[in-house]
Amino acid sequence: MAVYKRSYKGYEGPLTSRRKRFLILSRYAARGIFASRIVTGLFILSFFYPLAMIIGLYLNHNLSVLSFMKLHQDRLFDVNGAFFMVFMTVQSAGAFLLTAFFGPNLIAPDLANNALPLYFCRPLSRTEYVAGKASVILLLLSIITWVPGLLVFGVEASLSGGAWAWEHRGFAAGILLGSLLWISFLALLALALSAWVRWKLVAGALLLGVNFVTSGFAAALNATMDVTWGSYLDPAKLLTAIYGEFFGMDLSLGVNTWGALASYGVICAFCTYLLSRKVRAFEVVR
Amino acid sequence: MKTLWLTQVAAIVRLEIGKTFFSRRGLWVYLLACMPMVIFGGHSIVWLKRGLPCDFGHDTNVFASIFQVLDMRLTLFFGCLGIFMNLFRGEMLDRSLHFYFLSPVRREVLLVGKYLAGLLAAVTIFTTSTVVQWGLMYAHFPKSVMESYLRDGNGWRHLTAYAGVTVLGCIGYGSVFLLAGALMKNPIVPAAAVLVWESINSFAPAVLQKFSVIYYLKSLCPIEAPPDVGPVFSMLLVNADPVAPAVAVPGMLLFTMLVLVVAAMRVRKMEIHYGTD
Repeated sequence: MAVYKRSYKGYEGPLTSRRKRFLILSRYAARGIFASRIVTGLFILSFFYPLAMIIGLYLNHNLSVLSFMKLHQDRLFDVNGAFFMVFMTVQSAGAFLLTAFFGPNLIAPDLANNALPLYFCRPLSRTEYVAGKASVILLLLSIITWVPGLLVFGVEASLSGGAWAWEHRGFAAGILLGSLLWISFLALLALALSAWVRWKLVAGALLLGVNFVTSGFAAALNATMDVTWGSYLDPAKLLTAIYGEFFGMDLSLGVNTWGALASYGVICAFCTYLLSRKVRAFEVVR
Repeated sequence: MKTLWLTQVAAIVRLEIGKTFFSRRGLWVYLLACMPMVIFGGHSIVWLKRGLPCDFGHDTNVFASIFQVLDMRLTLFFGCLGIFMNLFRGEMLDRSLHFYFLSPVRREVLLVGKYLAGLLAAVTIFTTSTVVQWGLMYAHFPKSVMESYLRDGNGWRHLTAYAGVTVLGCIGYGSVFLLAGALMKNPIVPAAAVLVWESINSFAPAVLQKFSVIYYLKSLCPIEAPPDVGPVFSMLLVNADPVAPAVAVPGMLLFTMLVLVVAAMRVRKMEIHYGTD
């Protein structure tokens, strides 16, 4: 039987609102993340330290428990800037390692298999595509950086009282701002590198390499040129400087906080530029 | 039989050389090798522009520190990771490894051929980089100072030692990453594991220290890096129990042989699953 009038008809069903559209990508991208045992293991592992710290804080305020454990001191440790500095450095390092494993998986396969036209033939912009992929990284890294950081701060505040919390409100701001900067940087770097190398495994190794090599490069630059501005090329040192400022630590890194923020801005802008060059609905094959 | 194997190794090296030297995927290895050159070149240009005399001894110590921290631990490490992991995993990605496996070549011969090709590329790129870096570091000194350093100040010996350490680094790290490429799908795991192991090596028991590349390389460096390089770097540079070159070089080669034997055993049983990459 001949089939007539089978011409194209546009989709007439309900549409997701424009503002929430990028979340569809996030939802699908997030599904595959925990398929990797390494990622799952690292994610779980990154909660051990906050948990240990919360238990430590509880013990810190319970003399009876300390004496029961035969610890002849009135505190296990001091809860000051150094405490939060170490805490956030450990969590940020965990976030970096986790990103190296799952970050490149989000975008590299789409580019390697020329799947971008399939995304962009739908009502989805390039910005929404990147936002959708980046939001998965941001969400996951938030869970292991500023969320436990603020939780630890909250636990200490509840044990020490409102006066302590008000006096040390800068710590909370540092946890939030430092973490947001770090995870935004990691998300953009992971996506940019994976978009350029298109091989998720290499992109992960490259992410590892970029962070270590820039640290070494910055230190070498400072030593040979007899300068301190080389440190502005070292993302890890910039983060330490920002945390140090908020946690009231005198680290003498030779990095100005505003300079560190500006440096992060430049690095993130460069990553965005790299992404804009590669995330396109078409590809020129030479 | 040996002649056949040698002919096959030579053929594989010829095939692989082009891939390792000129592949687009390996471009960043060149960038990595050029990075320290930029620093030393910049140093010479800045001091020439300033027109101020630079302390030769200080520069020699700075070079020693940077060579041990940036070159040995980072550029050489990640460069070898890029070159040697790519030898087998790159073929998996390109879905071309089965051509090798279908040809009448022993897997061990294939491994040796690939290793030699990678080694040739790594040694050429990184040794050139080391020699150029050394030249650029001292480029701003007058000719007479350089001649005196080369003639009376062990200059040639230092340069040969740095180049030799680079070659040995390529041999050692190359074998480790070739094995990692044959064993694992994801290079991040071995890279992170080896990086951590090499970093904490100074604090490991004496017996365990011998199972690392950096232990032998540090012992062969001509100048001990000065302690005024900051707490993190001095921790990396410390070499409490250095071995004599007569032990370090054979030790390194023996270590490499062991790793290559394990890699050969692994490649012998290797199966291809292109779909999983």
